[in-house]
Amino acid sequence: MEARPVPSLQAHGITSGYGGVPVIRDVSIAVGPGEVVAIIGPNGAGKSTLLKSLVGILKLDTGTILLGDDDVSGRPPEELARRGVGYVPQVNDIFEPLTVLENLEMGGYLLSSAQVRARVGEVGDVFPQLPPMLRRRADKLSGGERKMLAIARVLMLDPKVLILDEPTANLSPKLADSLLREHVRRLAGLGKAVLLVEQRARAALQVADWTSVLVSGSVRLEGKPAELLQRQDFEELFLGAGTDLAASEETNMEET
Amino acid sequence: MDLYVAAFGFGLVGMSVIAIAAVGFTMQFGITNMINLAYGEVMISSAYVAYYVNKAGITIWVGMIAGALFGAVFSFLLNRFVYAPFQRKGTSHIGMVIVSLAVSLMIANLLLPIVGYYSVSYQDTTGGLLRAGGIVLTTNQIAIIGVAVVLMLLIHGLLRYTRLGKAMRATAANPTLARNCGIPTQRVIDSVWLITGALCGLAGVVAAMDSDSFAISNGAGFLITALAAAVLGGAGQPYGAMIGAVIIGMITELSAAAWAPEYKEVVAFGILVLVMVLRPQGLLSKRGALAAAG
Ligand SMILES: Nc1ncnc2c1ncn2[C@@H]1O[C@H](COP(=O)(O)OP(=O)(O)OP(=O)(O)O)[C@@H](O)[C@H]1O
Ligand SMILES: [Mg+2]
Repeated sequence: MEARPVPSLQAHGITSGYGGVPVIRDVSIAVGPGEVVAIIGPNGAGKSTLLKSLVGILKLDTGTILLGDDDVSGRPPEELARRGVGYVPQVNDIFEPLTVLENLEMGGYLLSSAQVRARVGEVGDVFPQLPPMLRRRADKLSGGERKMLAIARVLMLDPKVLILDEPTANLSPKLADSLLREHVRRLAGLGKAVLLVEQRARAALQVADWTSVLVSGSVRLEGKPAELLQRQDFEELFLGAGTDLAASEETNMEET
Repeated sequence: MDLYVAAFGFGLVGMSVIAIAAVGFTMQFGITNMINLAYGEVMISSAYVAYYVNKAGITIWVGMIAGALFGAVFSFLLNRFVYAPFQRKGTSHIGMVIVSLAVSLMIANLLLPIVGYYSVSYQDTTGGLLRAGGIVLTTNQIAIIGVAVVLMLLIHGLLRYTRLGKAMRATAANPTLARNCGIPTQRVIDSVWLITGALCGLAGVVAAMDSDSFAISNGAGFLITALAAAVLGGAGQPYGAMIGAVIIGMITELSAAAWAPEYKEVVAFGILVLVMVLRPQGLLSKRGALAAAG
C-alpha cells in the first residue's frame, strides 16, 4: 500500500470558531503534493470553518498549521496567498462587480503585469470558456462559468496548495463530475496538494486519495476511500448524521 | 431670464466644487465602509491651511496644493488612529457614525480658538471676467471647473485602469477575497484615505474660493452638500456622486437665483431628505457600490 506524501500543508489539533465559540475542535488534517484530500460531512459540520481557519481568515483558539516545515499559525490570509496557498471559498468566490479579466488580474495581484498577461493566457487554456468573456461583468456569469472563474482566479498565482470549498455546489451533475475528474485530478497530477470539501460523498470518494469525515466539528473517521467504504460505521455515521449517501449517489450520473 | 443664464454659469462652478467633495466622501464610504461625518470639518480646516499660505503672500493655487496635502495627511491619520482602531474592535456602523460626529465636533472646537469665528477670504485676484452668451465667470471660476474635470478624469483612470484602483474596487466588493488574493488591503485602504483626503482638502479650498468669504461655521454646510450629492448618486459610487453633484450644483444655484442665495444648503438638505424618502438607494442603484465603477 502506497504511503501518503510528505505534507505540504498540515493542521494539528486546531480549534476555532466565531466570537469565541468553537465550531471545530481538535481537528488534524494533512495534504501533500499530488494528493487530493476530501473532507465530507453533513451541513453545519464545520467544513467551511475548518478551511477558513487553514487560510488565516479565522483565528485559531488552539493548534498549529504548518506549511512545509514553517509554522504559519495565525498568519494573515495575504501572507498565505503569497506563500502558495490558494483558496476558493464556498460563497462570495469572485469579485462580482469586476469584469472576468479584472477578477483574473486580482488573482494575479502579486505578479508583474507581463506575468499576469501570460498567466491569463495559460488559465484560459485550462478553462477555454473564459477567454471569450473576459470583458463581461463577473456577476453576469452562469453558475458553472462563475466557478470556473473562481478556480481560474486562484490558479493565477500557480499555488502549491489548493483549498476548494464545495467547488461542485450548484453545478449540474455532469459539470460537477468533469470538474472533479478532469480539473481536480489534473491539478493534483501537476503536483499540487488539493484539499476540497465535497457534499456528495460518493463523488468525493471517487476522486480523493484520502478522505476525512467531519461531524459536529470533529474528524470522526478518515482513511483511503476504499477502506472507508468497507467500514461498517461509515454509512452509519452518515445516516446518523443526516447525510444520505444514497441521495448523493443519485446526483452522480456516472456511478460505478 | 438673464438671471437664470448667469445662475447656470454659477451652477457649473457649484457642481464642480460639489463633485470634488462628493467623490471623495462617497469613496471613503464605498471602500472603507466609513460614513465620515467629519468630512466637512476636514474641508474647512484645509481651506484655512490654504488661507494662511495665501496670507503669507503666496498665490492661492499653491495654497490649494497645501490644502490638498493637509487634507490627505489629516484624513490618513484620522483613519489610522481613530476610525480603524474602532472598526477593528468591531464597532457597529451607527457607532462609527457617532465616532465621526464626535471627531467633527472636536475639530471644530479645536479650530475655533486658532482661526476665530469671523469670516475671512483669500487675497488673490479673481482674474478677469469671461463672458459667453450671458454667462459671466471669473478666470478663477473657470479654473475651478477645469480642476474638477481633470480630477474626475483622474479618478476614472485610477479606478478603471490602474492596479491600485482595481484593488480598491476589489477591496470594496469583497475584502476577504481580496486578502485571499494576496492584496494588502490595509495598504489599499491607507491609499484610499490619502487620495480621498486630498480630494476633501482640495474641495475645501475651491469651496472657499467659490464663496466671497468663509468661516468655520461653513463646515456643516460643506458636509451636507457633499452628502446630498453622494446619496443622490447612490452611496459609495463615484460616478453616481458626479451625477449627484451636477444635479445638486445646478438646482442650488438656480434656486439661489429664484429665491435667496442664503438657502442653498437648505435646498441641498431638502433634496437629501427627498432622496432618502423616494429612492434611498440613489440614482445608480443597488449592489456593488464603488466596486462597480466603470
Ligand atoms: N460567520 C459565522 N458566524 C457565526 N457562526 C457561523 C458563521 N459561519 C458559520 N457559522 C456556524 O458554524 C457552524 C459550522 O458552519 P460551517 O459553515 O463551517 O459548516 P459546513 O460544514 O461548511 O456546512 P455546509 O455544508 O452547509 O457548507 C454552523 O453551526 C454555522 O451556523
Ligand atoms: Mg460549508
